[in-house]
Amino acid sequence: MALRFSSEMMLAVLCLALAACGRNAVRASEKEFLADQVMIFDDDGQEAAADEHISTNREGAAGGRGSTGGGCGCN
Amino acid sequence: MQLRAIISVALVAAASAPAWADDAVDFTTVWYQEQRQGGQGGLTVVHPQLDIGADLGEKATLDIGYSADAVTGATATVYTVDAVSTATPFDDLRHEASLGLALHGKRSTFGIGGTAGMERDYLSLTISGSGSIDLPGRNTNIALSYTHNFDQTCDKDNADLGPLERRALTGFDACTKESYLVRGVDDATAMTVWHDLSIDTTQATVTQNLSPTSNVQLSLFGQVLNGFQSNPYRRVRVGPNEPQEHIPDIRARGAAAVRWNKFFPGVRGAVHASVRGYSDTWGVNGGTAELAWSQYAGSSLLLKVRARIHQQTPATFFKDAFFYETESAAGEYFTGDRELSPVRNIVVGGKMTLISVAEDDHEVWGLFDKLQLNLKADLYLLHELAADDPGANPAGRDRQFLSSGQALDAFVLGVGLLANY
Repeated sequence: MALRFSSEMMLAVLCLALAACGRNAVRASEKEFLADQVMIFDDDGQEAAADEHISTNREGAAGGRGSTGGGCGCN
Repeated sequence: MQLRAIISVALVAAASAPAWADDAVDFTTVWYQEQRQGGQGGLTVVHPQLDIGADLGEKATLDIGYSADAVTGATATVYTVDAVSTATPFDDLRHEASLGLALHGKRSTFGIGGTAGMERDYLSLTISGSGSIDLPGRNTNIALSYTHNFDQTCDKDNADLGPLERRALTGFDACTKESYLVRGVDDATAMTVWHDLSIDTTQATVTQNLSPTSNVQLSLFGQVLNGFQSNPYRRVRVGPNEPQEHIPDIRARGAAAVRWNKFFPGVRGAVHASVRGYSDTWGVNGGTAELAWSQYAGSSLLLKVRARIHQQTPATFFKDAFFYETESAAGEYFTGDRELSPVRNIVVGGKMTLISVAEDDHEVWGLFDKLQLNLKADLYLLHELAADDPGANPAGRDRQFLSSGQALDAFVLGVGLLANY
């Protein structure tokens, strides 16, 4: 019971922290540089795919690179 | 045999599922060239890839894609202390097609997709679903994706044979579905079967804007593979025998990664850093770190340099070839797969992007909103480490045919054109 309560508390704190960051971290008018293509994770999808393709064939410890996105938050 | 290649495509499909293109055409061709020991040839892979994205109204996008792998090279048929002398040429061709549909809300995206891959000895069908949402303020994005593979691998029919008796597939064995179904062939040794491999992959990422010039992404990755995962062509010398390699049917793997971008407006450049940890139930534990710098030069040139290092421990059942030959396997499993060996790989490379953007009403080449030409080159330094006590290995690891033994093992050249219209 204590463990469950603790997990729920941690989840709530995480959600609040994310929500707080989301509202206050950067205003819409300040996202010029975040919108630049160099700030987008894996902005070149085919390059990311090719890199993963090669590393997976050389390394057993593959996967978990992350996902495309980020930047301006204008999904 | 591109089993891992197919898996990697599934990984990428799962990893990049939240990215849905607007009206765009993206064509890239990558040339991978690797050398191996003994002058027996290396490995050449040409990988063209075409993706087309189209808007379906204001709320939906459709993505279709095609890619191929044309592979030629040499491979060691038997993993031994002198695998170089067993190297034989081979070639392979793989085709893959993909289709994806995404629905876009005000702050969210939901997508479904699928891929179908085909080569002589491997079939792959994947389905995937993904969703992402921007939290209020649009500084936090949470994305989830899931992919399931329905894969099949061709193999010699070894149904009644023990691990040390199993025969390896050869390039002369028929892998057609018909030969499997019609068992009335004269040469029973040519009989082949198709094994199932199911792969469940899930990934969760949180992308967070930290400041007007920096953002970070945290990702968790999990995957369970259940089915035949051996390379059916590979044999391993275990004592006096040379059976087909034998590895477990079930593998669970997980990884966690952190990536960070920081833009420097004063120099119009950005630094990119990432670290990743990995662990699986076969005992492979690895870590990867990457550092890169992007730099604008003028209004239409973007340069990027990067360095990456990866190191991993071997699977618990992997041995240097000498020890399989002299001590036999540790348990029922044995492999000569270099992906399951201890390695330290270093990649250094660069990329140049020429960018043309439409200005006012003047579209690029009269057609496109934006056009990008990408040229990239990477150098690979693959270091084969000792899995067992090197002092007790008089045969050494120089002729196991897992790397070239030289400073530069491989390089990649790529050229791509991305057009938004």
